[in-house]
Amino acid sequence: MKTVSRRQTLWLGGSAAVLVAGGVGGRLLLRKRYAPTPYDDLIALAHDRDAAAQIGETVLAEVDDFEPIAMAVRLRARIAGRPLATALTDDVAKGHLVEGGGWVLPEMLGLICALAAKAAG
Amino acid sequence: MGAFIDARTVPSGTVVHADLAIVGGGPAGISLALALANTKLKVVLLESGGMAFDAKTQSLYDGSKVGAPYVTLEASRLRYLGGSSNHWGGWCRPLDAVDFEERAWMPYSGWPITKADLDRHFVKAHELCEAGTLYYDGAAKITGSIGQPLALGTGGLMTRWFQFSKMRSSVLPTHFGERYASDLKKVSRLAVYLWANVTRLGLNPSGTYVRQLDVATLDGKKFKVRAKACVLAAGGIEVARLLLASNDVIKTGAGNSHDMVGRFFADHPVPRDNAVLVLFGGEPAPFYLGNQTTHGAILRAGLFPSEHFRREHEVMASSITVEGKVELDALGKAAVATTANALGVDASSASFHSLGCGMEITPDPDRRLTLTNERDALGMPKLKLHMRLADQDFAKYRLTLKELGRQLLESRIGMLKLNLRTRDEWYASLDWGNHHMGTTRMSVDPKKGVVDANLKVHGVANLYVAGSSVFPTYGAANPTVNLLALVLRLADHLKEELP
Repeated sequence: MKTVSRRQTLWLGGSAAVLVAGGVGGRLLLRKRYAPTPYDDLIALAHDRDAAAQIGETVLAEVDDFEPIAMAVRLRARIAGRPLATALTDDVAKGHLVEGGGWVLPEMLGLICALAAKAAG
Repeated sequence: MGAFIDARTVPSGTVVHADLAIVGGGPAGISLALALANTKLKVVLLESGGMAFDAKTQSLYDGSKVGAPYVTLEASRLRYLGGSSNHWGGWCRPLDAVDFEERAWMPYSGWPITKADLDRHFVKAHELCEAGTLYYDGAAKITGSIGQPLALGTGGLMTRWFQFSKMRSSVLPTHFGERYASDLKKVSRLAVYLWANVTRLGLNPSGTYVRQLDVATLDGKKFKVRAKACVLAAGGIEVARLLLASNDVIKTGAGNSHDMVGRFFADHPVPRDNAVLVLFGGEPAPFYLGNQTTHGAILRAGLFPSEHFRREHEVMASSITVEGKVELDALGKAAVATTANALGVDASSASFHSLGCGMEITPDPDRRLTLTNERDALGMPKLKLHMRLADQDFAKYRLTLKELGRQLLESRIGMLKLNLRTRDEWYASLDWGNHHMGTTRMSVDPKKGVVDANLKVHGVANLYVAGSSVFPTYGAANPTVNLLALVLRLADHLKEELP
């Protein structure tokens, strides 16, 4: 039976550590970077910022006069510190909806996505 | 014993006498003849075709069309015993009470009868369709072992049910000609003439009474039928044609003193793939996706706007069906993942299905049938259909779909994508129910309709119409079981009126 030397073990372990670190770091490096905005707290409510920005582009095509700072103020007031899921279902119960690319979305979620799209430039 | 007579064997010049002549051997004509079986009335049923499809006879339906997209006039119906039941889908559902009402938001709405006037006839109508016990909105009580309706919560749309016609366990649905030929032959005072085309209603000089029907065969025989009363049951297009073409006494056509015959043509648009239904928790119950048989009934669920929603939002009736699976694009995947996460639900096993629909459209007097100068093989003028569709009808259906999307989100069970917006997109998706309605609409006012509440043609004492052409508005229910209920009500009326 062939044995593995201590030197080989250390070399393999080190190589694996470099590959893992490189992979994670690479993803971080490749990930789209966003400049900070005054409404990052709202964008953070979306679980995937890139996906939110993609949806937000289609929402922006549906809404007029979208001014991000003012919209962020209004959204914070509407959410009023509640969990997002609660705020959204309450909003939907009142019929507050927006379309994005044909998708019928809770209005607040669509507007958060629109903020993400604005932030993405 | 009743008789099936080949009209091609009737010598030209013959005059056939009867108490009642029924023109057309589709579901309406056959059901009326059977409903009068136990009376003393001598009935003649005149059917243009034979027992099976014949291309030359079918070509008598040929016509033209202009305007919005629609199927050819020859394609959407069948001209032999059993009529269009020879290619129907068997979908059954009674109209709703609100469908009969005059509604401020729907021009020309309002039947001269109510749903209650028809209710007692639906059991027999269902029996004729071989559609089993009437369950409909009570079907959820018998389908629990199959699955549960969507938990849509409060809102505008709700799960409701279709039932289906069946002839035998392996044959679906009932083809009235094949199914009831033997029953018709058992009716002692009934004569069914096959290959018999009615080409003219011969009116008295004042145009107030049908004295005789002119009948012709494609091989050149011509004879007449004289009856105390006549019922036109030849379908929503052909009944209008026969009235319009019988214009030797009244220049605008029999029963058409007020230029109403042929107007208000309607059908149910069926926009395919009009939306995508996402259910976060997985597949919908099987009864949404196809027919399920239980308790002796064949059932399928659909999503319908409630009466309250229709009134509040002034929308038309519609019946939404869940169709095949679809794939989402990148935006769709992003929308589902982002929305489900924001709502705090797991969408890892979400299902995605296309939605179909049967739509009601607004009555329109300019969506109409008119005669042309072209003639068919029997010398009858051909028809032209002037087809129109209102953008508002699509907009109202889209509003209904959006409410479904809202309910899915509020109940956190799913979401919806609307696939169609522009007129071109709607037109490109359009299929049709092939439900020809409206062309001899019912009204108490001769200026607003062709037949009265008893289905008698205004101004013509002994002429009636049976079929969906009398519907003033159309609902979203498939017409057959509803027109059969009207036919059975007409049979009761004729039993009283005819000596």
